[in-house]
Amino acid sequence: MKHNLFALIVLLLLLVGLPAAIFAYRTARDTADGLRVIEIQAQAPEAGGFIPDRLELTAGETVKLRVVSPDVVHSFFIPELGVNIDEVYPGKPVEVTITPQEPGRYAFACTRWCSVDHWRMRGVIEVLPADAATQSTQSAETSKKPLFEQLGIDLDAMRHAPTALPAATPSAARGAALARRGTEPGAPASPARPPFEDVQARKRVSPADAFLELRAAPENAGLSDDQVWDLVAWAWLQDVSPETLAQAQTLYSRDCAACHGETGQGDGVAGENLPGLAKMDPAMRRGPADFTDAGQMLSAPDALLHGKILRGGMGTGMPEFGSLYTDAELWAMVSYLRTFLFTK
Amino acid sequence: MAQTSRRYAISDIPLVKRVLKSRWPQWLAVALMLGFFVLAILAGLFGTPAGNRNFGIVFVWIVWWALLMLLLVPVAGRLWCGVCPIPAPGEWLQRRTLIAPGKGGKLHTLGLKWPKRWRNIWLQNLGFLGVALFSTVILTTPLVTALVLLGFVLIALVTSVLFERRTFCRYLCPVGGFIGLYSQVAPLELRVRDPEVCVGHRDKTCYTGSDDGYGCPWLVFPGKLTSNTYCGLCTECLKTCTLDNVALYVRQPGKDLVTPQRRGVDEAFKGLIMLACAFVYSAVLLGPWGALKDAARAPFTLPWLAYAAVFLALNLIVVPGLFVLAVRAGAWLARRGGRTMAASDHKHAFVEYAAALVPLGLAAWIAFSLSFVLINFSYAWPTLSDPFGWGWNLFGATGLGWTPYLPGLTAYLQIPVMLVGLAAAVGVVLKTAHRHGCGTLAATPVVAFCSAATVGLLALFLA
Repeated sequence: MKHNLFALIVLLLLLVGLPAAIFAYRTARDTADGLRVIEIQAQAPEAGGFIPDRLELTAGETVKLRVVSPDVVHSFFIPELGVNIDEVYPGKPVEVTITPQEPGRYAFACTRWCSVDHWRMRGVIEVLPADAATQSTQSAETSKKPLFEQLGIDLDAMRHAPTALPAATPSAARGAALARRGTEPGAPASPARPPFEDVQARKRVSPADAFLELRAAPENAGLSDDQVWDLVAWAWLQDVSPETLAQAQTLYSRDCAACHGETGQGDGVAGENLPGLAKMDPAMRRGPADFTDAGQMLSAPDALLHGKILRGGMGTGMPEFGSLYTDAELWAMVSYLRTFLFTK
Repeated sequence: MAQTSRRYAISDIPLVKRVLKSRWPQWLAVALMLGFFVLAILAGLFGTPAGNRNFGIVFVWIVWWALLMLLLVPVAGRLWCGVCPIPAPGEWLQRRTLIAPGKGGKLHTLGLKWPKRWRNIWLQNLGFLGVALFSTVILTTPLVTALVLLGFVLIALVTSVLFERRTFCRYLCPVGGFIGLYSQVAPLELRVRDPEVCVGHRDKTCYTGSDDGYGCPWLVFPGKLTSNTYCGLCTECLKTCTLDNVALYVRQPGKDLVTPQRRGVDEAFKGLIMLACAFVYSAVLLGPWGALKDAARAPFTLPWLAYAAVFLALNLIVVPGLFVLAVRAGAWLARRGGRTMAASDHKHAFVEYAAALVPLGLAAWIAFSLSFVLINFSYAWPTLSDPFGWGWNLFGATGLGWTPYLPGLTAYLQIPVMLVGLAAAVGVVLKTAHRHGCGTLAATPVVAFCSAATVGLLALFLA
């Protein structure tokens, strides 16, 4: 009896005590310095990338980030917080303590070539103001619905090709000249412009619809189709500064060109064999969008393009740029995409 | 120390006898292994999925495997089975006691008998093939390893509730099958001192059990034991024999292979399957063929189905077929030489000659194990320091990098190991041929088969 009791104690120590001790030690170790520990799984983008890829902190809060790789060597880079962990080896967690002081969005990324989709391995830390009142305003602001949702646009719905397409590349500069004239004696009347000068209104209509509306306006009866398209180009790019376009071009080269191609034709090398391509509707273009495809692009309002960039996905593994870009950057990118069909 | 011809009863050394007669040393060894087992399962379930940083993968498939194939099986035969934790929970449940034996060695089961048609190692062969087919996934994925180990425990537990004794170990365990086969090579055996004493022993407590212990859990009557294959070295018979007629002997290595035994086709196939698997493992895990590795790693995809078809064909048709051809060619040569094989029955000859595959197969697995064990053993130190890959550093070894041990020496170890295996195989073939009245010429095809297998395996190891 004594023997069995002793054996039972040994067995209980092994079967209950050992697991309990392991998890107790883990908890004690994690809470030793009183900091919140956030574990981030860093895995190849095909397997999910950073999980989670979106963190929410409060300004001034100190947290310990534990970055763990289950597959290959990654890195962990938060440029705006000066964090640069060069190597995150599989099964060797790396910890870093951060205290972001300023509210804002801090993007983090892997800078190691970890897979063919490496460039998609991104995440963002949303740092909210410490002050509760401001925080709630900020929360309300950040939780505002994007325009495509407000308009009820289905990002994945099939769209009909426009009935009219430009024969030549529409020019915003020529459109601006047309818009300015009308005061000279004997000159044609000033062409119809509203409502496309209003930025908010313009975001809701597609260039193709804008063309049809302008084409139907009696004031524009004397204009050729190409001239009407010039007016459309002008309406879309009139309020976009060269600096904004340059900034968007930099972002495009960094984040989009790998798949969509430097010239926007959807022919980037990373766009071949994207995960999910096989599942795409065969009726649809298989692969990254071609921004020089007038049929597709001119039938899409800015709100739709903004929504697509913001949400990503599309079955191709495109990142959710809404968590990586500011809203201004998203709209700048929409304008930049227009330059593949409209010249400034 | 008692001594009979060519064997020494080490259990007659007082300290060894005390250790073997007491239940505690073995029980503590099982408990210790159970602790490692629990750790391996927990690491598989909750630790990092990176295999080289997970205790479950490193300690099961590198450290344990190295100990098993390089040390335990060649030197001590089924010693692992004696301390294996997998059947322990089921056995404790059967006995309703953890250590002190129950009255009369009574077991509590539903008392079902294992079906007669499966009283062989065919299910072990199939089980091993099943595990081997998915081995690239099992060997590298901690979660799968944990689930497989848990599965083994569960099957052993259910089996011990339904059936008598260690039915799982005897008829089902995929690992026990090949350990039993290769334990015939070991220089260690548990045998009766004098079979005549057993004949005269009315109670046969070694099989029926007594207040001192349980009847042979492996369903073997020790009085008739002539091979290590089905003796699990649990030492129950040593504890229950009232006549002190059971002993643990050091003996001539491979004795079981050159003494006439009753062998079955299932055992012959076990030898062939193990040899074929050594080829497949060497090609997949050591070879430079990326497409083959990719196919083996992607279960249920089209390339994997092709791989599975080739794997099964090699194991069940090609290699056994070639061996049958070699045996038949030997019989033909014997007839041409004017001699008729005593074992004229081809099936009998096939089974008899297959004993040669035991030393050859064991050598192949030792050589194969050397190649990856020496290269990967250094993973053991950081894994011991951080078993779950959670960033711990228990012994200050977490930062130790991967360091292959003796990489330049591996080939120089593999070649002699394979040659010793081949020499032993040839010895068994010649003895078998001569035992059946055939000349050396009749043994030539089987010797050629063994030689070709050796050359093929060395090519894979060294290429």
